[in-house]
Amino acid sequence: MSVSDTADPFSLVLIALMKGVTYREDDPVRWQALLDLQPRVRDYVLVLGLELILDEAEGHAFLRHHQVDDGEVAPPRLVRRHQFGFRVSLLLALLRGKLAEFDAAGADTRLVLDQGEIAELVRVFLPETANEVRLLDNIGSDINRIVDMGFLRQLKCRDDQYEVRRILKAFVDAQWLSESKQKLAQYRDHVIGTPEREEESA
Amino acid sequence: MDYRTLKSMKRTHPAWLLLMADHAPLVVSFLHHAFVDPNVRTLPRQELVSKLEDQLFHLREQPGEEAFPKNAEQYLDDWAADERGWLRKYYPVGSDEPHFDITPATEKAIDWLAVLQQQHTFVGTESRLLTVFELLRQIAEGTEIDPEARISELQRRKARIEKEIQRVHDGHLDLMEPTQVKDRFLQMANTARGLLSDFREVEQNFRDLDRAVRERIASWDGGKGALLEKILGERDSITDSDQGRSFGAFWNFLMSPARQDELTSLLNTVFTLATVRDMEPDPRLKRIHYDWLEAGEAAQGTVRRLSEQLRRYLDDRAWREDRRILQIVHEIEQISLAVRDQPPDGDFMALDESAPTIGLPMERPLFSPPSSPMINQNVLLEGDQDIPADALFDQVYVDKAELASRIRRALQARSQISLAELVEDHPLEQGLAELVSYLSLAAEDSDALIDDEQRQQLTWTDADGRQRLATLPLVVFGRQARSGAGMAVP
Repeated sequence: MSVSDTADPFSLVLIALMKGVTYREDDPVRWQALLDLQPRVRDYVLVLGLELILDEAEGHAFLRHHQVDDGEVAPPRLVRRHQFGFRVSLLLALLRGKLAEFDAAGADTRLVLDQGEIAELVRVFLPETANEVRLLDNIGSDINRIVDMGFLRQLKCRDDQYEVRRILKAFVDAQWLSESKQKLAQYRDHVIGTPEREEESA
Repeated sequence: MDYRTLKSMKRTHPAWLLLMADHAPLVVSFLHHAFVDPNVRTLPRQELVSKLEDQLFHLREQPGEEAFPKNAEQYLDDWAADERGWLRKYYPVGSDEPHFDITPATEKAIDWLAVLQQQHTFVGTESRLLTVFELLRQIAEGTEIDPEARISELQRRKARIEKEIQRVHDGHLDLMEPTQVKDRFLQMANTARGLLSDFREVEQNFRDLDRAVRERIASWDGGKGALLEKILGERDSITDSDQGRSFGAFWNFLMSPARQDELTSLLNTVFTLATVRDMEPDPRLKRIHYDWLEAGEAAQGTVRRLSEQLRRYLDDRAWREDRRILQIVHEIEQISLAVRDQPPDGDFMALDESAPTIGLPMERPLFSPPSSPMINQNVLLEGDQDIPADALFDQVYVDKAELASRIRRALQARSQISLAELVEDHPLEQGLAELVSYLSLAAEDSDALIDDEQRQQLTWTDADGRQRLATLPLVVFGRQARSGAGMAVP
């Protein structure tokens, strides 16, 4: 057994996963170690009620709360949840839609939007207001929230440009969007009444 | 080429728009200088901006030149806008800085202007006619299914060649006339340059193919089974297309080292001919095959990337999820519009974080009072002390050439000499500086040996009269090694 200069790769891989998403492009050596040690990692994190989500094609991996089978007792949640309001949910959905459009049109480069474009995307769904500045400020803080969640990345040289990170696909998926839609539809029915009911009362 | 098509082209085609632009001389000259001349495929924004700034600066200096009101960045963004389409702006993988490249339309416009500039007093005809014949012959032979016909054609060729061998044997060497050489050289030059300038269009074709496939999939209205079948066929649609095959064949041909050597030697031979030199050809032509390689590599990279991503898109059925996603997002949009004026407040949805939460209390540093810098209000006075500055001018200059000749002289008497022995014969006069120069000579000399395992001691007397002792690794200077004779370390 030779003395190595670096720590045990298994430790490095686990610690990285504990801190956030592991991207292949950030550290290819660590990524390869993760691929090699996958079974050990899965067993290790299962003890903590976590499961490893690894997408080799996209080049990212992270830990998620492990859904237990029916009948088993679920351990307490270790992974917290971001809670956010309607505007941020809507913006996430629209960004996911934009990413889907982008992929359907060709995939040579990355999706980068500037603040103006993001604002245009969501504006039409926000209430009319004469205070343009406040509107843009609100959108700006929504964008910052999404940056904190890790789905948008500010570009290094131009700070008004944001890259839509592909990890968004893993979190804002069809199921989450369906849930959002359902919740929103329920809200609409509650507030406005369903279209059929409106016609009845008209 | 009918009226209506041309009318619409005049309004929309980037190449035509470029030729009609007010600033066309600026745009064309700059883009030619930045991309076409050095055969560069992509430039980062910062570099391109500073190049354009230089150009604008020079132009604004000239009297009588129009003042270009906008700054370099604005011009570049303008030229890359969709309405103009002269530059392509994109974010390559691995960089946060946008990169620029010219579009095939721009390249065509630049080429056309370059051709206009060339003045040929001589338009070659024979060579091109022969090429037409040769190409037709190749097509006819290649599609000939009758073996008899093929054999008879080959026999005819064989007879011609044998007749020619006989002629050379008899001393008749048919040399090409200067006119014929010029004709063929011009054709070669035009074809080679044309090939180089077509690479961007090749890349664009690949991108268009990729886009077309993805569009077909996104807008498929038929049944899933038929779509799946279609998908399987599309996996290699980029490399299997006409463009893909032709480029693939070209690339394989060019990549063989034998062919490249052949091209290099042929180009060298041709360029030394007197007739060719008289034509003053563009020296870049001599290394056109390297330019092809660079351009081809860029195109090859694009093909590889596109094919890989397309395959992934199809295999992972990401397209299917994307269709569903777009549908759901569309529905969300509809509902959001309906509740626009009374949006839900408070928390609405939640998402998992990307990792378990680990509190790191020890990572938070303890309070340390901020250190405020003491700003001294002293006024700086000019010092007028008369310090002797002789020490500054008292540098030691060691003549390395002198040391080297000393070593050589010593080696005339013996085959090896160690540094210690050398210093005994020629005591150090300039102290440590001289010693270090010896060491540097030893490091540069391939016939000198520095052995870290053994140590030597050297003594010398410095300028103040003190004895100095240095312990250093064994340094041995040797004579220039001849045919394998090794050096014995004493």
